[in-house]
Amino acid sequence: METAAVKVDALVVAYGSFVAVENLSFAVKNGEIYGLLGPNGAGKTSTIKVLVGVLQPRSGKVEIYNTSISDEVAAKSQIGYVPEEVVLLDSLTPREFFEFVTSIRKLSKETVNSKLERFVSAFELKQYFDTPIAALSMGNKQKVAIVAALLHDPKLLILDEPLIGLDARSSKILKELITFHAKKGGAVIFSTHIMEVAEKLCTKVGIINKGKIVGEGTVDDLRKLVRTAEGSLEDIFLKVTEQEAGMQDIIKALEEE
Amino acid sequence: MKFSELWRLSTKVYKEVSFQAIFSLRAGSGLPQDGRRNVKQLVSSARVNTIISKLITTAFIAVFAFIVFLPVIMGDSGSTMSLEIALPGSVSAFLTVVLFLIIFMGLQVSTSFVSTKIVDFLSPLPLSRSEISRIVFLCFVRIFDIPLVSAGIVFLVVYFLIGGSAVGGIISLVAIAVTEIFALTFTIVSARFFYSRVARAAGKSIWHAFLRLAFMLIWILPTFAAYFVVNFAREIVQFFAYLTQGYSTLSHLLVLVYPFSYGFLVSYTSFFHSVDYVTLILSVASSAAYIGIAAYCVKWVTRTVREISAGTVVRGTREVVKDTIVKPQIPWLGILRKDLRVASRAPSFASLFLLPVAQTAVLAITFSSISEVGISTILGILTGISMITLLLPPTLLSIEGLASAYTRHLPLTKRTLITAKTLLATLTFILSLIVLSIVSFALGKDFSLILIFGMVHAFSIASAVMLELSLLLRKMWREGFAVGNIYSRISTYILILIPGYVMAAVPMICALAAFFIAPPLVLLAFLVAAVTEFAIMTTITASWK
Repeated sequence: METAAVKVDALVVAYGSFVAVENLSFAVKNGEIYGLLGPNGAGKTSTIKVLVGVLQPRSGKVEIYNTSISDEVAAKSQIGYVPEEVVLLDSLTPREFFEFVTSIRKLSKETVNSKLERFVSAFELKQYFDTPIAALSMGNKQKVAIVAALLHDPKLLILDEPLIGLDARSSKILKELITFHAKKGGAVIFSTHIMEVAEKLCTKVGIINKGKIVGEGTVDDLRKLVRTAEGSLEDIFLKVTEQEAGMQDIIKALEEE
Repeated sequence: MKFSELWRLSTKVYKEVSFQAIFSLRAGSGLPQDGRRNVKQLVSSARVNTIISKLITTAFIAVFAFIVFLPVIMGDSGSTMSLEIALPGSVSAFLTVVLFLIIFMGLQVSTSFVSTKIVDFLSPLPLSRSEISRIVFLCFVRIFDIPLVSAGIVFLVVYFLIGGSAVGGIISLVAIAVTEIFALTFTIVSARFFYSRVARAAGKSIWHAFLRLAFMLIWILPTFAAYFVVNFAREIVQFFAYLTQGYSTLSHLLVLVYPFSYGFLVSYTSFFHSVDYVTLILSVASSAAYIGIAAYCVKWVTRTVREISAGTVVRGTREVVKDTIVKPQIPWLGILRKDLRVASRAPSFASLFLLPVAQTAVLAITFSSISEVGISTILGILTGISMITLLLPPTLLSIEGLASAYTRHLPLTKRTLITAKTLLATLTFILSLIVLSIVSFALGKDFSLILIFGMVHAFSIASAVMLELSLLLRKMWREGFAVGNIYSRISTYILILIPGYVMAAVPMICALAAFFIAPPLVLLAFLVAAVTEFAIMTTITASWK
């Protein structure tokens, strides 16, 4: 039986009385690029934060390669994570930041440096290597987070809106890296608002709305779900999340003003 | 825009600043997620925390005022010294304490104030640059509002308690206002230099490391100075009185220097004693000049505080990068190195970091007059050093709040975190002992017994540090690493410090008991207690994952 990279079962995430994620269940297999889609505030980032151990769930079961997320160190060791809002240790330089991250991950100097050289060159970070992160642009901070997520060669990549702020070149490189990672047998969970990217990149998508999965499968599966033969992922998304109804009227009203 | 409107706007911004000071969201922390409280409650708890911190600082000012004026109130300023002669010294000493205390607070909040990035959300609004400057300035001042007002009130209360006049009271208020403006200016000058030259400067050169170390030293000076003035209040008052007694050229020069100008002026206008007209004219002229300087400072601070919080003073210099080699360490060493790097680049952390060492130097000088080192001297010095060292663990743990929304995903165990922080705090304690031996050597004193007890006490200090960290970590691991800065969370810190202090005191109590029961066993009792504590805490934390 194939081992699931990620298994989420009846996950509930709450902030006080506000329930952000309600009874969410999904699974991601090796070789899959799983697109986590949903409107703003749907619960995507909360779900991702639970998967990487930043947030504690109120209830539910989360397993990373059969390891419960409660076994924090074992689970986290298998994950490479790029957060939605990249706030790193601002006073450190990328060199110092990578030293910290690789120390925590117990990586050897030899393993790290050969990879680092390639990633730094690919993402054109060398010139900023000794510049404090606080002085970097948003895009360059994003690149630092991406490189840090890849250095330990994780089996699972969890990327929350990783393309925001990236230039076209870096964006293309990252997309290629994601595809290569999945082809190698790794798993990817990828959150984005750009439907075109999701449609092109993801082998499977899960659409979350109001904390619940409202559609899951390949784009073709979802087409069947909304009973359309031609529609793009964007159209499917709007239908599934019930955002389509009345949208034309709203656009018309805005244009009239 | 009217002042009332600016004030109203600054209130909105200030709420955000106090929230960020506690939860540091923009510095990468996460909101506590304990499942019981909602965000509204967190916002109000942040405000309550801020007010409590201000009240505690106010209490400190009141205590300092009492200590500084004690020689005058009690008539204990020396048999040959009259009240009017002792007063300039007391006033100057109090102004100095207020100056350094507010600078200390300023350094604590400046990091979170800057990271709030309030200008980012004010700038797009239809407000002029000067209006934004004034809003940011008002907001900055409001961080200290209660301590600033209470310093004036405390000063006036003490002043009238010792029989001051109405004119003297007005001058006292002016003196406090000038002092507070100077303190805020110093904070902003320091923060500006820091953010333009130290924090954001690129490179891994020795020069930058030296600059950071120099800045760490500068940041601890205000704290050190406040501590020094309070500790040596009586001597300082006596010394100032001695200087003023002779109406010498020296006193004419001294009267030109802040805060002595106000000290002399308050004294003259209080008791109208035998007036030396030259000194009086000089003190009036220099006091007026300082008011002028303070007025200019207000203008400068208003402008600069906006620049700092907008990040426009940052100089993003770049150096040629020769290689991209990194040197990973074992996890605890990686944390330790990261902590040292972060602390050397953040005023709020750096100002506390070298404090135990500075404290030790003061204690060594204080105790140097003692001819024979007995149990009371040993325990006195060790109490002083350990009390300051045990302030470190919460600060060290609060560093984890930075970027915790990111770093929490790293496979880091509580045990590793505790090991790294314990080691760093204990090393600081040992560094203090080294300073003690250097100072004692320089003074020609034999403090070897203190050093032996000190090395043994390092076990107890490590245990106390582990206890403090364990208590904080239990809470923070579950709720997220939002600790805020020490100034905005004084009440939390105090509650955490108490068990730590108790643990550090246990070997001392055992040693004292042994001293009365079986004097030869004092060191053994001390050793057994300290090592037992260490063994217990190590066993407890070793099982933590």
